[in-house]
Amino acid sequence: MVDSITPDETLDCRGLSCPMPILKTKKTIGKMSSGQILEILGTDPGTKNDLPAFAKRTGHEYLGEKDDDGFSRFFIKVK
Amino acid sequence: MSEERESSVLAGILTRGYSRIFFENWPMWVGGVLIGIMSVVTFAWARPWGVAGGLRNWGDWFFSSVGLYHHPVLSPVLSTNSILTFGLLWGAFGASLLSKQFSIRMAPPLELAKGGVGGIFMGVGSSMAGGCNIGGFYSAVSALSFSGIAMMFGLLIGAFLGLKYLYWELEHLSAGSTGGSKMSEGKKGFSWLEVEPYLGAAALVAAIVCVFLYNRQAYTRIGGLLLCGIAFGIIIQRTRFCFVRGFRDPFMTGEGQVPRAIAISLLISILGFAALKWTGLRPESTYVAQAFWFGGLVGGIIFGIGMVVAGGCGSGSVWRAGEGQVKLMVAVVCFALSTSLFKLMTRSSEGLTALMGHRVFLPDYISYKWTIVGLVFLLFIYYLLATWNEETDKFTVEM
Repeated sequence: MVDSITPDETLDCRGLSCPMPILKTKKTIGKMSSGQILEILGTDPGTKNDLPAFAKRTGHEYLGEKDDDGFSRFFIKVK
Repeated sequence: MSEERESSVLAGILTRGYSRIFFENWPMWVGGVLIGIMSVVTFAWARPWGVAGGLRNWGDWFFSSVGLYHHPVLSPVLSTNSILTFGLLWGAFGASLLSKQFSIRMAPPLELAKGGVGGIFMGVGSSMAGGCNIGGFYSAVSALSFSGIAMMFGLLIGAFLGLKYLYWELEHLSAGSTGGSKMSEGKKGFSWLEVEPYLGAAALVAAIVCVFLYNRQAYTRIGGLLLCGIAFGIIIQRTRFCFVRGFRDPFMTGEGQVPRAIAISLLISILGFAALKWTGLRPESTYVAQAFWFGGLVGGIIFGIGMVVAGGCGSGSVWRAGEGQVKLMVAVVCFALSTSLFKLMTRSSEGLTALMGHRVFLPDYISYKWTIVGLVFLLFIYYLLATWNEETDKFTVEM
């Protein structure tokens, strides 16, 4: 399912650690419109817990994640 | 059932157990409970848990080795402070290897600078408050010291100010911290991830050997503390237990699970410490720092700003450094050096020492009974407010 997603925007958070990926995601989502999909690239293991929790709390839809070469891609659909 | 079949069932159980411990997430409150228990065990074994003291010992040792300090410094191999912090680093390193999460993670320049500045703030703050968020707050509150409460309020104020800075940075310097640091290219034919669990197991076995060697040299007490430190490292890495989040999340995302886990953890630790002190098994003055109220409160504010900017507190910076995060390694080094220098400065000035405040052991003023009632009530309020904020977002600061 995650493989077929084409994101509207990509946020590169590789090399950043907690809390920067969450803050940047929050800021980017604020500029996007409803129904768009944001892809986040990250390397911090904490992001795997933090992003789904953040999406759940803020009402955005967490679509899933996939591992790439040395980093992960996370997908969130803006509410 | 054939013998072969039985052994494959056993292997299946062991594999499931391994993946449950090292690949699945532990709930945050489990981390809180285990940390509370380990905190009491550590005090019962030898002394309360601390992190900043170990970093200070390493800083002292470094300055002494380069000839800057002329007073004798206890060897990091024999200092109980140093051993606890070393165990934390070692345990987190082993656990992150076992869960295939170890990797040297380079950060962009602005992030490295934040690690350094945050580390210095934490070094200064912890020497004022008589410890970091562990020794100055967690263990100090457990030890029924009033300065621990002062630091708690300081940490909340500091976390709020630090978060304000992060928001400002996102608006004005956002280009500076855009990611994109190239991760090490996966080498063809040899996968580090596959061997990490074996390296992790080897690291933990090596630690056990060290404990055995300490024991042989009649340093059983220190060997036991190394084990305690390692236990903290494993628990904290696996739960990603982050004390910063206990103070920052209510303002940032409104999440309350970490404040709740800290409240549960402290409740266990307070009851254990109170039992050990009340019965006279441990001296009452232990971990009651001369820091009420100025040192605790102001040190807490400075420390709080530092921990949010660095993205890790005393324990958090150490375990993330053990996981390979370069930004937090910078924070740990700056923390160690600055806390050593600042402590020396405070000690050599009578005025500064007096400014930090007094030792206030709460039971001396309001008896053990009312101290415990009061602290439990305070934790209850903290728990309740965090949960209430989760529903209402009253404390959450918008960008």
